Formats: sequence, C-alpha cells, structure tokens
Amino acid sequence: MIDPDRTQATERRRQLGLAGIMVLQCVAAVFFVGDVAADLVHAPLAGHSVLEALVTAALVAGILLNAWQLRRTINRMRAQDRALGAARGDLARIIGAQFEAWSLTPAERDVGLLALKGLDAAEIAGIRGAAPSTVRAQLTRIYSKAGVSGRAQFAAWFVEDLLDGISAPPAGTADRQLS
Amino acid sequence: MRQHIESGAHAAPGAVPPWDPVVRLTHWSLAAAVLANALLTKPGATIHVWIGWAAMAVLALRLLWGVIGPREARFASFLPDPRGALSHLVDLLRGRPQDHASHNPAGALMAYALWACLAVVIGTGLVMTDGKSPLTISEENAAVAAGDWSVLVAKDRADDHDDEGAGEIAEEVHEVVANLMLILAVIHVAGVAVESRALGRNLVRGMVAGRRR
Repeated sequence: MIDPDRTQATERRRQLGLAGIMVLQCVAAVFFVGDVAADLVHAPLAGHSVLEALVTAALVAGILLNAWQLRRTINRMRAQDRALGAARGDLARIIGAQFEAWSLTPAERDVGLLALKGLDAAEIAGIRGAAPSTVRAQLTRIYSKAGVSGRAQFAAWFVEDLLDGISAPPAGTADRQLS
Repeated sequence: MRQHIESGAHAAPGAVPPWDPVVRLTHWSLAAAVLANALLTKPGATIHVWIGWAAMAVLALRLLWGVIGPREARFASFLPDPRGALSHLVDLLRGRPQDHASHNPAGALMAYALWACLAVVIGTGLVMTDGKSPLTISEENAAVAAGDWSVLVAKDRADDHDDEGAGEIAEEVHEVVANLMLILAVIHVAGVAVESRALGRNLVRGMVAGRRR
C-alpha cells in the first residue's frame, strides 16, 4: 500500500528542488541578460551578440515554462491534499456515526477504531494499557452489537459502503474509472 | 488570553495555505543578500556587485511569481491596503489579530516597501557601476592590476563629461535607501515576532518549512 503522506512529502521535496533550480536559473539568466544588453549596446549586430541574445531568450523562456509548470504542480497537489482530507474526514464521520448507531461505549469506540486500523487484541491492549482479556471481551461485545461474525466482517462493514455500485469485475479486466 | 490563542489557532483549520517553495526560497535568498551586502561585503567590491545582481534576479523571480504563482503568492491576494494595515495593527495591539490566507495587510505593506527599497538600491547600484556586470568589472580590475590603465582613463573621461552629478545622487540614494531597508527589516522581524505571539503559532516556521500550522 502506498502511504499518501509519504508521497506528499516526496512531492514537496521535488517542488523545493524545482524552485531551487529556478532560482539558480534566474541568477544565471540575469548575468546573461546584462552581458547581452552590454554587447548589443557596443556591437549591435555582431554574430556573437545575436547568438548570445538567442540563448538568453531561450533561457528566460525556459524559466517561464518551469515557473508555470511548478505552479500547476503546486495547485494539483493542494487539490489532492484537500480531497484526501475530505475523504479522511468523511470516513471518520461515517465510522463515528455508525458506532453511535450501534450504541458503543466510548471505550468500545476506541477499541473498535484500533481494530479497524488492523491492530490485534494484544496490540490494542498494549496501546490502551489494558489486559488482553479485557480487550478481547470488548471486541466480542462490539461484534455482537454490530451483528457481525468477527473482525473480517466488522472491517468489511465499512469497506462495503465504499465499494457500493462497483460490481465485481471479471478476473483480469479491472478497469479503473477516474474522473 | 489563553482562550484567545486557542481560538486564533483553531478558528479555521486548513484555511491557511502553506507558503510555496518559490516564496520561501526567494524570501530567504533576498534576506541573505541584503544582510550580506549591508554588513559583510565592502561597498563597491566585486562580490558586492555579484550579490546585487543575484538579488536582482531573485527579486525578478519573486515579482514574476506574484503574477503567475499560486493564489496566496499573487499580488492580487495582498494588494496594498493602508487602511486594512492600520486596523490590523490596532487588532494586533489588542492581542486579537485575524488570520489571513496570504500576508496580513500590514505585512503586505511591509513586503511592498522592502521590495521597493530593494529595487531602488539595485537600480542606483547599477547606475553607480554604469550597468557593468560583475564579470566585466572583475575583467577591468584584472586589466588594471596587470598594468593596463586605459580602462581608468576611459572611466575618468566619462565621469568628467556627463554624469558626475547623477552618480553622486545615485550613491547618496543607494546608501540612504539601503539603511532605510535595514530599519524596515528590523521592524519586519519585530512584527513577525509580535504577530506570532498573538496568533499562538510560529510564523517563521511557515516561511522555513512551508506548513503554516
């Protein structure tokens, strides 16, 4: 599974790198521009200065393109950030509402959430500083309140909603539809 | 007081976008360039001119980014607004400044003032060096050191003829505005410190690491 936070961090580093290169390009370009300007004043039509002017124009155009690209990357990443936040918030809200509907106690909610995150009874007990037997009893009560047979069905309860409307595709032809 | 800080920090979660890398890099490069040229390099030295030219490039990039950058980096989101700046300062003195997605109105005015000062200092610097790039200057210096004084003669003649007065005015403006810029920078830092305290979040962290909460 790809950790979205880690890809975001990588993306951020990449952006910083791009920006750094852009600053360097600008510093380089300004010296070229100064040189070209001086050359054009002293010897307007010498082949040397015309060529230099062309190179400088290309460099400046490159900087502009780079800036434009970076701006698009930044905007796209922010949109992803927002979507991810919204999805997380939504899922948390849905889980909270469902726990409420099953009338779980606060302790059971905490345990249920940890169980959904994939921790087993011993790990949950370690985090909560409780005895494993207590956690196991809580899990049993949660499953019975939810009317599920066990952990797998409990987790599937929430995933099922997300998969709503997606019929099981024939093997090997998993089409991804992205809007 | 504690309550205010809490509400200030959590009033609108996620409403403050992070500073993008171009804003951060240009900010610190310009700060470093200004400090270096004001305090470390010798006025008129080749390195002083090198740094000035680099600062010119970085300033140009920041101004370009103010047109095509992401929203909170664009001038349109922090247009100069003296009245807004004043009321922000009043709020600040009362200890209840508002959060802003871009620069706050007072900070925006400071940014414009610093950029204007920088532009004037760079412009007068160019006048003082006849717009010669640092490469040319070091070449000339090398020539003089090697015994070829023709450059100096040409320079003297140019000075005698036309812009003796203009050069002196430029020098005067260069120094005065550079000092003004340093004073503004001190006020800027003080403002950031006061605002960070009042908002209960470190504004400097946002300018270093990007994330603003």
